[in-house]
Amino acid sequence: MDLTIKNNEAKFLVRLADTSLILGQRLAEMCSNGPFLEEDIALSNISLDLFGRAEEMYKIICDIEGNNFTPDDLVFRRNEREYFNIKLVEQPNEDFAWVIVRQFLHDIYVQEVYTQLLNSENSEVVGLAQKVLKEVRYSYIHSKDWMERLGLGTEESNARVQSAVDHQLKYIEEIFAFDELDKTYLADSDQLRSVWENDVNATLAACNLERKEIMPLTMRDFRDGFHSEHIGHLLSIMQYLPRAYPDAKW
Amino acid sequence: MESGDKVWEVFIQKKPGLAFKHVGSCHAYDKKMAIQNARDLYTRRGEGRALWVVPADAIVAVPLDDSEAFFDPGDDKVYRHATFYKTPDGVKYL
Repeated sequence: MDLTIKNNEAKFLVRLADTSLILGQRLAEMCSNGPFLEEDIALSNISLDLFGRAEEMYKIICDIEGNNFTPDDLVFRRNEREYFNIKLVEQPNEDFAWVIVRQFLHDIYVQEVYTQLLNSENSEVVGLAQKVLKEVRYSYIHSKDWMERLGLGTEESNARVQSAVDHQLKYIEEIFAFDELDKTYLADSDQLRSVWENDVNATLAACNLERKEIMPLTMRDFRDGFHSEHIGHLLSIMQYLPRAYPDAKW
Repeated sequence: MESGDKVWEVFIQKKPGLAFKHVGSCHAYDKKMAIQNARDLYTRRGEGRALWVVPADAIVAVPLDDSEAFFDPGDDKVYRHATFYKTPDGVKYL
């Protein structure tokens, strides 16, 4: 089955859909592993929002591509190099601070992306963006709240959240290395960066966290299907069942 | 959970104007966390549009041991019930 996405708009949208899906899978791994019951459920709820968002986006993509494949095909039958998520969201759940920092850095980014997509010429994308913005607003309140609690909590919690920040900021630079597709389908890609920078810098400062200088890294672009070492393990777990039993039905 | 953890009772209002209904409880360290946890536990399926959380220890309850003294219905005192009284002729809509 050929799962190559050919249309330019679909190529742009699949980056968002994959980012949503992979983060959804990471948060689903937290189900039954949360720090306490209520937070466990909160993370699972956000995970479900992300899966729902990805599914709707894959449907739009499949429509554009003439429905030669389904959302399930895209999720369960593509390999690493055919996935186009930002590397940030595939980073593992090292500890609760990692989960929160990853979520926070992601939430600011997607909040601005979907705000800009309200201006899309594709009415289905606009409809989805309206729905997503409501979800993201809550997720953002939740992740920012925990940034404050951990950053301003104990010495231990501050150190853990700082180490998560130090690690995950490495995966930010590529997000803003926009290509022609990004510039075509985002209303204002420069603003995306400035909104993100302002919020992150203000929040880190308010939470007693440091934004350290990142050494220049050679990292190939997620837009070309490149990943960190973690994606393979994630996909092998997520795709195991349909790969092992291709005829299995829900 | 460690110290600081408290139980909060959760109340949801289905529509504006209706009474808030008790739906359960949740754990949280402070007001802000309590309202977020209550939202995640109890309002994900359109259960309502407004939410209250109340620290469980702020609710005054009748001690279990005293319940007989508080709630004895006095079944032997038939005159406590409206049915004891005859309805006079001519009274409508009762």
